[in-house]
Amino acid sequence: MPRETPSPIDLPGPARLGTGGLGWTAGVLATATLVLAATNAVAIQGWLNEQPPGPVQAWAAGVADEWAGFTDRIGLARPRAALHSGWKRAEAARFGGEDAPQR
Amino acid sequence: MLFPTLTFGLFFLLVFAVTWGAAGSNEWRKILLLLASWVFYGAWDWRFVALLIGSAWLNWGAARLITAQREDAAGVRKAILVVGVAANLLVLGFFKYYGFFLEQLQPLLAAAGLARDLPLLQVVLPVGISFFTFQGISYLADVHGGRLEPAELLDVTLLMSFFPHLVAGPIVRGSDLLPQFARTPRLTRDMATMGLVLIVWGLFKKAVIASELSTGLVDPVFFDPAAHGRLDLAAAAYGYAVQIYCDFSAYSDMAIGIAALLGYRFPLNFDQPYRAVSLQDFWRRWHISLSSWLRDYLYIGALGGNRHGFARQCANLLATMLLGGLWHGAKWTFVIWGGLHGGVLALERIWDRYRPEGWPRLPRVAGLLVTFHVVLIGWIFFRAESFGQATAFLGTFAAGGPASAVLTPLALVLILFGLAIHFAPPDLGQRTAVALRGLSAPVLGLGLGAAILVVDAMRFEGVAPFIYYQF
Repeated sequence: MPRETPSPIDLPGPARLGTGGLGWTAGVLATATLVLAATNAVAIQGWLNEQPPGPVQAWAAGVADEWAGFTDRIGLARPRAALHSGWKRAEAARFGGEDAPQR
Repeated sequence: MLFPTLTFGLFFLLVFAVTWGAAGSNEWRKILLLLASWVFYGAWDWRFVALLIGSAWLNWGAARLITAQREDAAGVRKAILVVGVAANLLVLGFFKYYGFFLEQLQPLLAAAGLARDLPLLQVVLPVGISFFTFQGISYLADVHGGRLEPAELLDVTLLMSFFPHLVAGPIVRGSDLLPQFARTPRLTRDMATMGLVLIVWGLFKKAVIASELSTGLVDPVFFDPAAHGRLDLAAAAYGYAVQIYCDFSAYSDMAIGIAALLGYRFPLNFDQPYRAVSLQDFWRRWHISLSSWLRDYLYIGALGGNRHGFARQCANLLATMLLGGLWHGAKWTFVIWGGLHGGVLALERIWDRYRPEGWPRLPRVAGLLVTFHVVLIGWIFFRAESFGQATAFLGTFAAGGPASAVLTPLALVLILFGLAIHFAPPDLGQRTAVALRGLSAPVLGLGLGAAILVVDAMRFEGVAPFIYYQF
């Protein structure tokens, strides 16, 4: 792309063109995926439950249920649950101090 | 397949792994990206993948025909361009405007005593057709104008089908993307870090701010404006200004970030639009890829810009914005929105030209406030389902409706936050990326996972489609 067309991708200063960008990015994505699988198992559970029913879906949903239960028992799901309930309270707050029913 | 969903996340991880795995052959890599793009598009409706392919091949063929003509056959080259552009517009016109124009035609014929049963059809609108049609037209015009060499069939098809920009832009021109397709891309830490920053920021703006404001405030008030008081109406108007910015710029941010992770550089599409001090300034900051397209190919290319005198220039501005409004959808509310913008743009030019000597210029803050509120009034027409709903909204605001309590503290905070981000340093994202690019992969991965977790915990249940998908 012509450099005169600005892009947010261009960082100021000299570019880091060294090798290893792909491996490094793959490492970042892999780590983030593992972190999310461990701390946000309810998202996987919900997603699998929304898939068209079938034997594979039923099996995967069962595995996801067990995984979500496991992460819950060992406390990995706690940060997300705490954040989510805090956010729900913020959603329910009304001017005047009276809370609305949860959406 | 919406960006902020787990389905898309898994799809992207697969595409990332497969395409970088095939990086040894640029041709295979592009073929894989093309297949992935068709899968992405086919997730909405497989039938329209054929339309997408047909549209790309049409433009590839027309461009080849143009360059196959002798240099001195300018008339033939122009004729091929006109036919090619007309064919693109015909496709767009059929899918997007057929029903609208017949609906307008029917009462006109009846009034003239020529009432007919017109062949009304329920035409399904292919997602993103306005974007890829404009992309095809610009490719043809650039080849005709000698600004671009005709590309291979694979590259043109990928240009128009590439999934990050396919359904809601940015409108990435051939001159921007085709040279990148010609060489094997490299992924640098700079690109990857900035791409990830844009993806997370876009995810937050869409899934948290835009979705929350839409479902909690804007939709209920616009659904029945007469049932709401001035405070809620004002909050909904400001809320929609923030919602549409956070929705559309989020899509652009994520598209740019996703393309960057695949090794491609997309252009800037939003630049803090609500800090504009004039409407001309606004259009240099809002949906830049569309406004620059309209400027280059319609206002200057087709209408002549300012080459035929001042009065014609103002008329061209108005015509460009009216057509720009119609580009968004086959509804009179979009035409009114475009007319408002075109009219104010023309007035700004007139004021610049005829402002009495010695009269002071508007202070920047006043310019900013006036511009923002002109844009805000435009958004009311843009958001309303009909002209009647927009006038009901404005009428109720003027008359004062019943007291109501839709506005919540959270919505107020999100509106203020959505406006405040326009006054943050413009390069804050880049600075963040510079600070992060030196981290090790596990540390940044941990941070990325935590950031997405926070967004997911705050997001509204489910994800509404992006506003610009309907265009």
